Amino acid sequence: MRRTWWGFGVALLVGAIALAPAAWAATQPQVGGTLVYGAGADPDSLDPANTDSNPGEAVGRMMNNFLVRFDAKLNLVPDLATSWTQSKDGLIWTFKLRKGVKFHDGTPFNAQVVKYNFDRFLGPEKPLKASLHTPIIQSVEVVDDYTVKFTLKVPFAFFLNNLAHSATAMVSPEAHKKWGKDLTLHPVGTGPFKFVEWVRGDRVVLVRNDDYYEGKPRLDRIIVRTVREDSARVLGLEAGDYDLIVRIPPEEVPRLMREGRVRTYAEQSNRALWVKFNVTKKPIDDIRVRQALNYAVDKESIVKNIYQGLAAVIPTLVGPLNNGYAPVKSYPYDPAMAKKLLAEAGYPNGFKTNLWTPKGRYLKDFELAQAVQQQLQAVGVEASLETADWGSYLAALRKPPAENKADMHLLGWSPSTAEARWGIYPISACDQFYPRGSNLGFYCNKDLDGLITKAVVATSLKARDQRLREAQELLVKDPAAIYLLATKETVGMSLKLHGVINSPLELVYVDKDTWKEK
Amino acid sequence: MFSYILRRILMLVPVLFGVTLISFFLLHMVPGDPAELLAGLEATKEDVDRIRTEYGLDQPLAVQYLRFVGSAVRGDLGISIQSRHPVFTLLLQRLAFTLQLSLVSILVASAIGLVAGIISATRQYSAFDTASMLGALFGISMPIFWLGLLLILVFAVRLHWLPSGGTGTLRHLILPAIALGSASAAVIARMTRASMLEVARQDYIRTARATGYRESVVVFRHALKNAMIPVLTVFGLEFGYMLGGAVLTETVFSLPGIGRLLVEGIFARDYPVVQGAMIVVATTFVLVNLLTDVAYAFFDPRIRYE
Repeated sequence: MRRTWWGFGVALLVGAIALAPAAWAATQPQVGGTLVYGAGADPDSLDPANTDSNPGEAVGRMMNNFLVRFDAKLNLVPDLATSWTQSKDGLIWTFKLRKGVKFHDGTPFNAQVVKYNFDRFLGPEKPLKASLHTPIIQSVEVVDDYTVKFTLKVPFAFFLNNLAHSATAMVSPEAHKKWGKDLTLHPVGTGPFKFVEWVRGDRVVLVRNDDYYEGKPRLDRIIVRTVREDSARVLGLEAGDYDLIVRIPPEEVPRLMREGRVRTYAEQSNRALWVKFNVTKKPIDDIRVRQALNYAVDKESIVKNIYQGLAAVIPTLVGPLNNGYAPVKSYPYDPAMAKKLLAEAGYPNGFKTNLWTPKGRYLKDFELAQAVQQQLQAVGVEASLETADWGSYLAALRKPPAENKADMHLLGWSPSTAEARWGIYPISACDQFYPRGSNLGFYCNKDLDGLITKAVVATSLKARDQRLREAQELLVKDPAAIYLLATKETVGMSLKLHGVINSPLELVYVDKDTWKEK
Repeated sequence: MFSYILRRILMLVPVLFGVTLISFFLLHMVPGDPAELLAGLEATKEDVDRIRTEYGLDQPLAVQYLRFVGSAVRGDLGISIQSRHPVFTLLLQRLAFTLQLSLVSILVASAIGLVAGIISATRQYSAFDTASMLGALFGISMPIFWLGLLLILVFAVRLHWLPSGGTGTLRHLILPAIALGSASAAVIARMTRASMLEVARQDYIRTARATGYRESVVVFRHALKNAMIPVLTVFGLEFGYMLGGAVLTETVFSLPGIGRLLVEGIFARDYPVVQGAMIVVATTFVLVNLLTDVAYAFFDPRIRYE
């Protein structure tokens, strides 16, 4: 063993010496060049307030700025706001704004712009993401040209996260006045790259914003191509047609790494996949049955065999990089325990049920559902697998309890505000049953709701995260789902590309520092 | 002839009416709701209802259809529910692209198909005949998806001769045209061969030879021209299908053609886009069939349309 390591060390050293000049050259950023980005789908909208898709948000991140934004590790950092204060009761937030920032159409950024943007959310237009702000914000006032004051309806410990949500990007008021809802076809932000054109089904083109407030971006031009087919994206990267692609199928990763002609880069994402229980159905309403099903699934083996390691087991509904995530103790794989609990619940020989799953919506979703189905079978639970295209799937699940046929359904959930509350509340709170919210399993636990409420009104991060930890512990005790895993997003890129951001929000984008070797 | 063409074009009106009516109701019978798909998983019912109202999806189906017909006859096909792009602009872009791709593909297909078919017919049972008919069998049987990926692997990834997908230059069309055209080439080759062999047995070919014409004149002027009628039929059908969108080819090569617009529109339940695309597909198909019929008269003066 020791000798092997020796040899390895020498090889490393020799390699390092041999590669040093090349590595040095590669660390000197170069200016210029076009980046061709192979995305998996078209944006749904380029108007931030109306987007609800990763492709839309990723393109948005290259064109826009926020009052505060997430860095690559999801820390909240100043962006268009340079500093902020919060009143003792948590209801008044005052932001100092950055001076000298201009929109791509020349409109200066200031407090009036901030007010305009939020009035748009609160007003009659009701863009798609209005519900992010309407329950929280009472009003926005201009204090002076570069100071803006928010008055909240309720204390809200995740307010900064909401401001960093992709939807809360600042758009040019002039452009919005001119285009209205068609802002999606003529977006104007303050970001490092300016919009040129969007040919649906083919490409979105952006060019460098020379007046970007953080300095001139290094890349000249970005072409985001719509490449739906996974293998076509991978082959296109290998052929050199794309510099950057998203969503490499896990089974392709080992080969690409071995051949070394392109670089793959996997990053843990916050996309949690779970099989949600419909607790109005028998026998799933029994807590012992829900616990048993959690014991019955071998998540480690699924991560290893289906995801090739490109996923991480999660203890509850919450992905591991969210603010407020707690690594609480959850269910180990224990089929004997599962059988014991099923017997206690009165089902020693298992029962028949169904499991709904999308196909191709999330990484390996259908394969994951198949694996869960097989492992449930091992403890006597016969789950029939039901699948449909995404539109029919949504239509089947978004139904009130009486009409809802799904006993269990697989979904992926990635809180766009990168905090644990959004990973729990909209899908598990008593007041979020469909049609009010996205609780499609009708799970209701008043204690859980109480903990979430306490977290929301907490004025210190420590108190907030303590409540969230307790909420996650409660979710283990009284399972809302079979907790499974959070996927990793694997991007592929040319060896010549440097500084790509693969955010845990499943957003792959570039910024002013991204550069490409000639 | 002219009045015949005019009549055929007028026939388009009931055809389009039928096509849009059927596709409209079929699409609405499928579960799923464009507003729900647009709003996403996180949306409340209120969000979904707002979108429904905005696009008139809360109206009774009959009203929705009549509204669509009403604005369509005025040339307004509405906007995409999914992306707000004007449907007319989307269709123009996609049709322009699909036309290019189909033209290059049918050129590739007819060049290969006709040449192989003629040589095979004139040298029946030769090594070339066997090889080309085997090739044709291969062309028909090969799934486009697989052939497309194979072409990308060889010509884009390994040899770096051609781009793997996307649009921009004529070079971008070469691999898709081969993938899309190969099956048509095979059909055209087999049809040309069969038809030529049939014609070769006719008396007037024997007469032509007896008159002392050179063999090439006999083959091209007498045999080929008369053998073209069934080939033309195949040609028209294949071209019509290509213009109707080549979803698989467009998907493998990431091309913005009318086929993908239609299929993605169906998955998104984007009713205006689907309706618009159906109109385009039906119209091009009818027009190509008409052109084929007119071409018959050119190749065979005995055929007249009154």
